[in-house]
Amino acid sequence: MTLESTLLVIALMATPFAAALLTAVLPSKILPHWAYEVLHAFSLTIVCVSALYLAITVVLNGENVQALGSWFYLDALGAVFIFLIGAVGLLAGWYSLPYLRHKVGNDTLSNRQVKHYYFFFNLFIFTMLVAVLSNNIIMMWVAIEATTLATVFLVALYNNRFSLEAAWKYLIICTVGVAFGLYGTLLVYANGASALADSSQAIFWTSLVGSGAPFDPLLMQIAFVFAVVGFGTKAGLFPLHTWLPDAHSEAPSPVSALLSGVLLKCAVLIIMRFYTLAVETLGSGFPQMIMLIIGIVSVIIAAFAMLMQDDVKRLLAYSSCENIGIVALCLGFGGPLGIAAALLHCVFHGFIKALLFCLTGNLDMKYGTRELSKIKGVLQVAPATAVLLVIGFVSLAGFPPFALFVSEVLAIIAAVVSGNIIVVVIFGLVLTVVIAACFRAISKMVLSKAPEDAAKGEVGVFALVPQILLVVVILWFGVAMPQQLFKGIEAATAIVLQEEGNVLLEAPVIKDLFDE
Amino acid sequence: MSGYIIVNILSTLLILTSLVLILAKSPRKAAYIYGTQALVLVAILITLGSASGAHGLYTWSITAFITKVILVPAILLFALKKMKPQQEDMPPRLAPTVTVALTVVIVVLCVLVVSGITLPTALEVKPALAVSLALFFIGITCIISQRSIIKQIFGFCLMENGSHVSLALLAPEAPMLVEIGIATDAVLVVIVMVIMATRMYRTIGTLDANEITKLRG
Repeated sequence: MTLESTLLVIALMATPFAAALLTAVLPSKILPHWAYEVLHAFSLTIVCVSALYLAITVVLNGENVQALGSWFYLDALGAVFIFLIGAVGLLAGWYSLPYLRHKVGNDTLSNRQVKHYYFFFNLFIFTMLVAVLSNNIIMMWVAIEATTLATVFLVALYNNRFSLEAAWKYLIICTVGVAFGLYGTLLVYANGASALADSSQAIFWTSLVGSGAPFDPLLMQIAFVFAVVGFGTKAGLFPLHTWLPDAHSEAPSPVSALLSGVLLKCAVLIIMRFYTLAVETLGSGFPQMIMLIIGIVSVIIAAFAMLMQDDVKRLLAYSSCENIGIVALCLGFGGPLGIAAALLHCVFHGFIKALLFCLTGNLDMKYGTRELSKIKGVLQVAPATAVLLVIGFVSLAGFPPFALFVSEVLAIIAAVVSGNIIVVVIFGLVLTVVIAACFRAISKMVLSKAPEDAAKGEVGVFALVPQILLVVVILWFGVAMPQQLFKGIEAATAIVLQEEGNVLLEAPVIKDLFDE
Repeated sequence: MSGYIIVNILSTLLILTSLVLILAKSPRKAAYIYGTQALVLVAILITLGSASGAHGLYTWSITAFITKVILVPAILLFALKKMKPQQEDMPPRLAPTVTVALTVVIVVLCVLVVSGITLPTALEVKPALAVSLALFFIGITCIISQRSIIKQIFGFCLMENGSHVSLALLAPEAPMLVEIGIATDAVLVVIVMVIMATRMYRTIGTLDANEITKLRG
């Protein structure tokens, strides 16, 4: 652990926080728009670059970074997620610039609302980074709660009846859900405080995990269920997922991209941390069963809901529930393949969903609506957007050569290896519903005939570039996963399983692949 | 040992106050009842502090007094004064008898669950622990059973109180920063909820959760 890495971890969190504060104090009446935009772009670029640098160093050197005592901590597991926050944060943040300019141009947003937007956007990034980097379990919870508080005003940005209702539902359901998370966290802490030799260490995840301390199993069971329900609410898992389609569809498109693509994954990371603790005390049976049940129910409900939607953003929001359900299922399958599939799915889905939500921003700019029945003939109206849209939905359906194919195949292999045959059959059938929903969306929007009065023309290169970059990433990860990512996922899987060595290279099926 | 007995007795008052809060007709009354419950909570913290010798609980009782007895009710009363909602008492979604019956079921279930816990710190205060777990679920009952958005905010506060008491009972030596973090967070949540409720009242013109139904499916 070097001093510079420690400082970089602190700088990583401090940058968006400082940018948010600066945005808040700068007077919106005197300053032109671009001042906020420059600040916003500057902050997100620094976050992205330092997150990438830190993630790669941690993965390649195999050394963990601690900061501010043991309060903050970056291991390979955290590295996977700060990579996601940094990369998607920058691209969604970039897309925010043209999108907001459009909204100011047609008088949907005032100068003050734009200022609020950039303030809360940076605060949002900050809270996610704190959640992912916390080693202090109470701090983890505080940060997850803070993500709700930072984003609720973004969801309510347009200040109309729909967005206010969505924001209220989001606020009440998530705070109640996350209160379960607090209860679970407190139970783990209390359990650790009496089981560990040094009770002051009970607040740190790194001291709780691998300690071999005699935790009370019943308390741990209750704590795990509470944590899964609590942080699962934030992740969009059944039964408290009902806020998600409203909030993710009413938020401004770049925010939806970040909410669906990244924030849900941060909550998943916290669930994974509790999963590791629970498996240690209870064995893998109970935690896996809980994840399997919640996962499969989420997938089924969300897949059918996708098919029913006439609002493209609601469709994508339900698809997020479905994909987080897949992640939960993978945790339920367990083993190195299951955990790796869960992590890969988090990363891949993050990029794909960010792409698709940004594309709904293009559609919004061109058509001024989110309804599938009114968005027609995108191919004639905005050909580049149409091509990107097709790529986005095809990859969301899990087709090769795009990234999601890899994680879904890995999930199915994990299911078969772990012997969950019935679950995998149901899962496979439900995936066909997802494919149907994706192609229904393509055929309705892209392959239909454009209305006579539609104004043709693209949304502008500046808005398209981040989307093209997202497509490049999705394709790149799908056909040639970079060595650093593979190593990172392997090291993260080892942390979740608390095992040493090359857990993936020695895992069933993959081992045979490499032996030849 | 008598200190723990007092804690257990005081904790039953938490259940009573929350029931009165849920059944209260107007949100204004609910605010005062919430303040009363918070006083009981402060008393529990102090008694627990002297019984267990964990002096951190005294400072904790001070933060609880400031945030829960003063700030939270004050914020809500202030918001109610500013909004002047036309229709103060809305009939609940669930009949009062159903709510009371639910509460009884919750308490019984929580007693059963808690009886299986073997943690040494929990042994003396099992009844209080069961009550704190029950308080958490009574908070949820409040949110589900009430139409008034303000009452729903109190429901969240009840849940928060439940987890607060559980933490004090199970880990009285918790570091100061933990308590302060949780207490600050609770106040922040209430502030954000009140801001959102005010904005909704201005735009939609209601504080009735049943009216928030434009988004479906």
